[in-house]
Amino acid sequence: MDRNSPPPPLPRRRVTLVDLVLIGLVIGMIVYAVYRVNDVLVYHWNWERVLSFIIRFDEESGRWVANLLLQGMFTTLRLAVWATILATIIGVIMGYWRRCNNLTLRIISRTYVELIRNIPPIVFIFIFYFFISSQIFPLIGLSSLRYDSPYMDNDLFRFMFGNPRLFENFIAGMICLAVFEGAYITEIVRAGIQSIGKGQWEAGRAIGLSHFNILRDIILPQAIRKILPPLAGQFITLIKDSAMVSLISIQELTFLANEVAATTTKVFETWILVGAMYFVLCYFFAYVFAKLEQRGARANR
Amino acid sequence: MKLKNIFRGFLIAPVIALLGVGFSSVQAQEESVLVEIQKRGVLKVGMSTFVPWAMRDKEGNLIGFEIDVATRVAEDMGVEVEFVPTQWSGIIPALLAKKFDIIIGGMSITPQRNLTVNFTRAYANSGQQMAANIELAGDKSTLEDFNSPDVTISCRRGATPCTIAQKMFPKAEIRRFDDDAQAFQEVVNGNATATISSAPKPRFWTDANPDKVFLPFEDQNLTRGNEAFALRKGDPDALNYFSNWILLRQDDGWLKETHDFWFKNQSAWIDMVSIDQ
Repeated sequence: MDRNSPPPPLPRRRVTLVDLVLIGLVIGMIVYAVYRVNDVLVYHWNWERVLSFIIRFDEESGRWVANLLLQGMFTTLRLAVWATILATIIGVIMGYWRRCNNLTLRIISRTYVELIRNIPPIVFIFIFYFFISSQIFPLIGLSSLRYDSPYMDNDLFRFMFGNPRLFENFIAGMICLAVFEGAYITEIVRAGIQSIGKGQWEAGRAIGLSHFNILRDIILPQAIRKILPPLAGQFITLIKDSAMVSLISIQELTFLANEVAATTTKVFETWILVGAMYFVLCYFFAYVFAKLEQRGARANR
Repeated sequence: MKLKNIFRGFLIAPVIALLGVGFSSVQAQEESVLVEIQKRGVLKVGMSTFVPWAMRDKEGNLIGFEIDVATRVAEDMGVEVEFVPTQWSGIIPALLAKKFDIIIGGMSITPQRNLTVNFTRAYANSGQQMAANIELAGDKSTLEDFNSPDVTISCRRGATPCTIAQKMFPKAEIRRFDDDAQAFQEVVNGNATATISSAPKPRFWTDANPDKVFLPFEDQNLTRGNEAFALRKGDPDALNYFSNWILLRQDDGWLKETHDFWFKNQSAWIDMVSIDQ
């Protein structure tokens, strides 16, 4: 902001009559909607049965333990974190290739981005799962891993990847999401690199740096600062997108919610609850990232 | 120049696609899945949640008729069992893509399915049952009554009930849902006249909502299903093994006993699960 311009007026905090009327109208509409739902639906609401699938009291150990839905939420979170990391690696490489001098690399990255962005995600997921993952996994020995080996059957592994028995399933979902989201991150990275002025490249070349050194020491450090906010947004998008891999039976929140709904026959409670769980997860990260961004902006000043 | 680049992109894409196809068609002649299971020490079973075939108990563990059967198969083979919960509509492609060794999921034999997978002999005969909304169909008592344009039948997408509904009630409107619970809820809400599902689910539902839903044909099933294990094609050894396993467990009465436990009376196991009654 310009140093000489007057500070903008603070947003009004007091509640006026107009606010009261508006709030009243919104509440009225919600109450009416709930009333209509109860009127139209003949349904015995029963939250208790579904809530017990989030957390339950274990009689044997005498402790509260996570049940299916909470386990599913952790899987979703793990999926999102690992897929974002992998997608960022893909995105940085492909994003650089989009702008590099080698024609083949430019074609590869362009094809990748256009292919992914122009087919529906669900179609991509099916193709990936049924044709690609079932070819690759046996090839790299992933399907013959011993899940009871000490490398996999320990607390650290469980914390990072969840149940070792479901590792292959998890990896399939993770790679699928990463390849999919990687295309979008490629575009974010490309935009980030492009946003750095041409003068920076020329200056680097003038002092005799190689192409790679300019990129690593001059361009990327600046680009990353611009990339981070959209990348954080992409992470939150990925949490929601991860629901799609339930279609290929990855045991994340949406898939397990399906199981719970089928078992309990409490469809509405399950989905309302699962919606709330996604909301809490996404809103939490949006809040954290906003705070980090504020702090980053302050530090840069 | 720009246009040229676009064309290059179009050229590359089919090449990559072709590579993928070539990759997938290179499949060596393989040994029986039986050998693979023994080597691995684990029988991977594809299944889908479907009361009372397979469902979740209060701890989130899998229980049900199917689960008992698959566990017993693995026990008799001397290996461990691993369940792979799978979306029903994608369960056959998943079997073909080797995500598991066998489907033990209450899958009924149909000629269409049999073209894609091999079936063992039947280990259960379930049949389809209809539950109907009392208000909308209280006066209907014959099959012909339901074959009319003002009847809406809800069913689970990609499952046998939808096929049967189309065949038996061609004049009725058919609405497909992702799972049984949704299809049934439509009947309770009065948005659908009736729903078709594998017995004994409609009976359990009716017991739970006696004031809204009834069984128009009592316990008489619309069809007689033949549920069997499904295996990938080209593996006669495995087919022989599992078929004979079923034969032996039928003869010693174990299958019938287990079936009765899960299907005859919900009260035998209702305490284990969190089904709403």
